[in-house]
Amino acid sequence: MDINLIRRLVKLVETSGISELEIDEKESRIYISKYGSAAPGQVTYTATPAPQQAAAAPVTAASAPATTAAPTPPSPSDTGTKLHEIKSPIVGTFYRSPAPDADAYVKVGDRVNVGSVLCIVEAMKLMNEIESDISGTIEKILADNAKPVEYGQVLFLVKPD
Amino acid sequence: MLSIEEFDIKLETHIIGRNFTMLDEVDSTNKYALSKKQGQYRDGEVIFTEFQSEGRGRLDRKWVSSREQNLLFSILLNMENRKIQHPQLLNFAAALSVARSIENLHFIKTNLKWPNDVMIENRKVAGILCQSVSQGASISRVAVGIGVNVNQNNFSTGYSHEPTSLKIELKQMVSRERLFAEILNNFELNLKKLENDPAQIVSEWKQFCKYIGDQISVKNDNKEIFGILDDISPEGHLIVIDNMADRHIISFGDVSAI
Repeated sequence: MDINLIRRLVKLVETSGISELEIDEKESRIYISKYGSAAPGQVTYTATPAPQQAAAAPVTAASAPATTAAPTPPSPSDTGTKLHEIKSPIVGTFYRSPAPDADAYVKVGDRVNVGSVLCIVEAMKLMNEIESDISGTIEKILADNAKPVEYGQVLFLVKPD
Repeated sequence: MLSIEEFDIKLETHIIGRNFTMLDEVDSTNKYALSKKQGQYRDGEVIFTEFQSEGRGRLDRKWVSSREQNLLFSILLNMENRKIQHPQLLNFAAALSVARSIENLHFIKTNLKWPNDVMIENRKVAGILCQSVSQGASISRVAVGIGVNVNQNNFSTGYSHEPTSLKIELKQMVSRERLFAEILNNFELNLKKLENDPAQIVSEWKQFCKYIGDQISVKNDNKEIFGILDDISPEGHLIVIDNMADRHIISFGDVSAI
């Protein structure tokens, strides 16, 4: 992606009456919005998005302008085995327990099986329980309780058995 | 006891409610529904109960309902064969189905409080809780839990929105069977719309929302946003413009009019 092109597009949005600009090409996608609390002309740039990601991204960008649409998980460097990623299937709010005063579903070091409930992601009062699709040990929890998560964001790293 | 015959005569659906489980008592119909794994249930199966010992709202808020007076049920949907881009709009589809059914059968004006409370003026007549399960990248099944206060005479106090029932509003008993069938009939239609033209569901939902253009407040965990409810986004989120003319897109929180 040409950085000068992005600069020119930001300038264009800033100086024109339009509030949002989205360009979708084969391999890249640019979304520029004046909305949100950040400075006008906020840019979100996603390389080769999955089709569903592209659909979800405008909300993402508008509600949380500072984050990019495709967050990358910290790469685990301290282990030889490849860790399994559990991702969020929807945009929503991450909850580690079924109720505010209840115990967390899982913590680091817990053993989980296929079908074990790991967390809830809530999207507009649709409470989605995320089950593990692998058996192993919880190595890392990458999202904060009661905080927003994006589509495809990695929530847990599981060390497979 | 709910009369299955009376209910069945009025049911015009093809999928929703054609497999039907009736339970005298259960902890929660959603929990019961979601405990069925893939292959153990039929798409559109309805689980009905006369009494829920652990009825739940969002974040485990307790919900108590008198035995055999109301409609408490879950609709279980297999999401693997459905093309629903924004599953959270099932809340809108369910709330719309209940609101429309009440208006059609009983000529009472209803309105919807975001995202899914069904109100008569500012009293709550029905609540909805959608729960789903995902493994891997997509949602596999959803239980759409619906509770409608039909013939209950009184409620405990302490709710943020005063509960009401159709009997309290109409001052007469209401046929639960007829209302139940009407809700499922409407839900099947709305589910098709959600798959084919989700914008239609959002647009219909907006017609039932009395707050658009008004001052509202949205309370999240620890902050409150005040502003004018400008619109509803295609995903069902609130678009609120505050007094600094900043635009907020809000996907969760408790909404009240100011």
